[in-house]
Amino acid sequence: MTNINRRTMLKAGTTALASSMALDVLSQPAMAEELARSGKSVIMLWLAGGASQFETWDPKPGRSTGGPFAKIQTSVPGIEISELMPKMSQRMDTTAIIRSLNTKIADHGQGYELMDTGRVKEPGVRFPHMGAILAHELGQIDSKVPDFVSMYTSTEGRRQGSAGFLGARYNPMFLTNKMMPEDIHRQDSITDSDHKDRAALRSFLAKRFVRDLQNPSIGSHENAYERVHGLMASDHLFDIEKEPQEMRDHYGPTQFGDQCLIARRLVDAGVPFVRVARAWWDSHGQNFETHRELCADLDHCMSALLDDLKQRGLLEKTLVITLGEFGRTPKINGSLGRDHFADAWSCSLSGCGIRGGTVFGKTDEDGKTVADGEMNAGDLFATIFAALGIEHDKEFMVGSRPIPIADFGSTPCQEVLA
Amino acid sequence: MRSPDAFLFAAFCAISMLPVDAGDVAELAHRIDHHIDARLAADGIAPVRSVNAAAFLRRVTLDLAGRIPTVPELDAYLAIEADQAKTAVVQQLIASPDYAFHARNQLDIMLLLPEEYNDKWREYLLEATKENRAWDRLFREILLPEDTLSTDVRPVAYLKRRVQDLDAMTNDASVTWLGVNISCAKCHDHPLVEDWTQAHYYGMASFFKRTLVTRKGFVTERFEGTTKYTNAEGAEIEAPLMFLTGATLEVPPLSIDGEELKQLQEKIKKAEQDEKAEDPPRPDFRPRSRFVDFVLADTDNRFFAKNLVNRTWARFFGRGLVHPLDQMHSQNPASHPELLNELADEVAVSGFDVKRLVHAIVLTKAFARGVRTESAAGPAPELFAVAVPRPLSPRQLSLSLRVAGRSPDSLTGLVGEEDWSKKRDELERQADGMARQLTIPGDDFQVSVSEALWFSNNQSMESEFLNGGGDRLVGHLKQIESDNDVARAAFRSVFSRNPDKDETNAVVEYVAARSERREAAIKQVVWAMLSSPEFRFNH
Repeated sequence: MTNINRRTMLKAGTTALASSMALDVLSQPAMAEELARSGKSVIMLWLAGGASQFETWDPKPGRSTGGPFAKIQTSVPGIEISELMPKMSQRMDTTAIIRSLNTKIADHGQGYELMDTGRVKEPGVRFPHMGAILAHELGQIDSKVPDFVSMYTSTEGRRQGSAGFLGARYNPMFLTNKMMPEDIHRQDSITDSDHKDRAALRSFLAKRFVRDLQNPSIGSHENAYERVHGLMASDHLFDIEKEPQEMRDHYGPTQFGDQCLIARRLVDAGVPFVRVARAWWDSHGQNFETHRELCADLDHCMSALLDDLKQRGLLEKTLVITLGEFGRTPKINGSLGRDHFADAWSCSLSGCGIRGGTVFGKTDEDGKTVADGEMNAGDLFATIFAALGIEHDKEFMVGSRPIPIADFGSTPCQEVLA
Repeated sequence: MRSPDAFLFAAFCAISMLPVDAGDVAELAHRIDHHIDARLAADGIAPVRSVNAAAFLRRVTLDLAGRIPTVPELDAYLAIEADQAKTAVVQQLIASPDYAFHARNQLDIMLLLPEEYNDKWREYLLEATKENRAWDRLFREILLPEDTLSTDVRPVAYLKRRVQDLDAMTNDASVTWLGVNISCAKCHDHPLVEDWTQAHYYGMASFFKRTLVTRKGFVTERFEGTTKYTNAEGAEIEAPLMFLTGATLEVPPLSIDGEELKQLQEKIKKAEQDEKAEDPPRPDFRPRSRFVDFVLADTDNRFFAKNLVNRTWARFFGRGLVHPLDQMHSQNPASHPELLNELADEVAVSGFDVKRLVHAIVLTKAFARGVRTESAAGPAPELFAVAVPRPLSPRQLSLSLRVAGRSPDSLTGLVGEEDWSKKRDELERQADGMARQLTIPGDDFQVSVSEALWFSNNQSMESEFLNGGGDRLVGHLKQIESDNDVARAAFRSVFSRNPDKDETNAVVEYVAARSERREAAIKQVVWAMLSSPEFRFNH
């Protein structure tokens, strides 16, 4: 089934299950909104550990905080980025840079919770990861492909991203040490036809039991098993050998490159959210050597990904986000490192719904504070939702409490939206 | 070998001598039904009929023992006169070692965070559930480990897990032990509930503000520390200690001078950093201990007793008398306020005897109701006219897979024998690995697709539960000649019931079509049953 066909089968028509799920009752999307975002996907390039804004999107050469690297002119007049990003400098037409994030939390644990969910952690409520929100908003309840894929890197640890109050239906398919999801292949001890026949027998027994029971949890159990064979058939999406050598060369020989290529294969097949993590940017010592190496990988892979998406006509419906838990300090410490810094840092948004060739916000000349256009995590999430055609103030009902999809009081940044 | 019937009869006779006042719990069960029935009658709703004997046994065994019944248990139960069977089996389960294990597992889910697994803490909880430790004592031990069990660091796990996060410590204590979620009142007075203001939130936080855990793992308190907050008007306010009821407590002025305080602070700092440092001195005024006093002295609102009743009730009915469980306040009244009050009185008077409450609840008619209604919509859930299917907890599922996967012969006489407690402990450990991978059910629980993929394709499914060895279910079934009997035996092991005609035919056809690979066919039949919702849920 093609991407378009899959997505144009609107959620509105799907089974009693969807409408009986407590959360969906309050988030029945208007048809217009549904159409506006059909077929949209997100690839998040997660810069784990916190990349330096100085060495990427917001260089300050010549200042005491600037470090040794120069800035270079990009393909968009007036926009300059670090010389460590030469390939991206030629692809700014589809990318917007935000230079004015002030997220305040400069601790890994709390920082990534904030940037995963768009809000400060609260006791008694488990907020969902952005991927789970977008799987819920952009995916289909009975999807034959995974709708939230998260790839693991050893340095980052086993941080998967939870679906929180949206429920386990929206948990990520998490890729651990292999590039292939766990339990996606049948055991050799059973033939393909027996595997399907026993599933049919299961379904027969299940239907006799379920009969007239209208229980959403039991519905989710049936839904999970109905998706099994579709997901098993999607294994080829994770198989990088299926790509021509030329394409693999295009992405390069790194693990990050392979994962970006898999991410493209997944969104091409209709997966709404893929998170690829590149670690480990936490350069308390030797910041400049670290960034020379990591930026080269990021610059190459991100450029390859954007080119590939563009060529396939996917970029206009795929939003590529580069983000980490925070940026790095203006002050260069005694070990030539930069420490955690969340007061004035950058991220980028490319493709779907984004006005390319723009820079939003400004830091002061030393990069110590936001000088203009301050944005917090909630505003960034609202902007991302808006780029995908999702109303940023729609609400989930959690128990008796309404929780807007982007944090209370946040607003989308119109300047970077197409 | 003794027949299973004879074995269980012996067990029942032995139990009749146990010091449980059966009349007392039966009377309490009757009173509970009286309240539930009164509201049904007032609303003109007829409750759903009770489930049959086999279905009741499955439900009550899952709820009291944390696993499905074995085939010998099923046989023994069905052999007993119906009117005695229920009382007898409930009493047997309540007295069995299984009860303590399952009660421990449920407590662990309630008290520790979902991602936490702590062997020592679980051991501590098991000791408590084995002796049916009073709920107020358990609360004291967990909230004030330094007072009650100075050499036992195990119950410290609850506070230790939260000590870095004052909000979590405050709100979890309130949610778990009092049924009140005050987190909405952190940044402003609660927008929807008049009862809870910012002063409550920070007043409650003040009780925990001074708590710390030393490097050695002991919990203690500092000599100073208050919480401050900014109200909606922008004024900074220092929060007094304030309990949910609005009762406040003045913090007494420190009786030591600045220099002395500084030295004490140094000692505390050292104990926080150095495992070898001596235990820091304890202040005379300890706010956390005052919190415990407030909780237990609150005889007007009785949050503590009501919360115990409500959470226990929800364990057996899938929802509380007050629902959601953390929304106990004036704008969210109980479905049966008199029942809640009466049971709160009961538990307080009984010395917070959890087991007695559980015993009475499972003897009610309300607990035994079927899950199916005639009409599609069904009566409102808060009437308890119909039972709600409940997902098994990770441990219930993992243990039940292990019980179902065994040959019935290998289970005969096992449960109830002298060394059963030890065997059950081994079973718990075997069930650990899988249990820790599964999601703990909360409100609006959904089964994840990774669980379905695990059941469908993981190697352990084949090696652990579909193994054809002699002491395994598949090994047992493949020895049975008639495919009809295979169907019957499989259903009894996995679903604790006999198959109907259509189900038997489906199994017989499935196996017959694969006669040249009969064992594989039997495995597939068992798989289809283990992965069905009938097995996955308690109903």
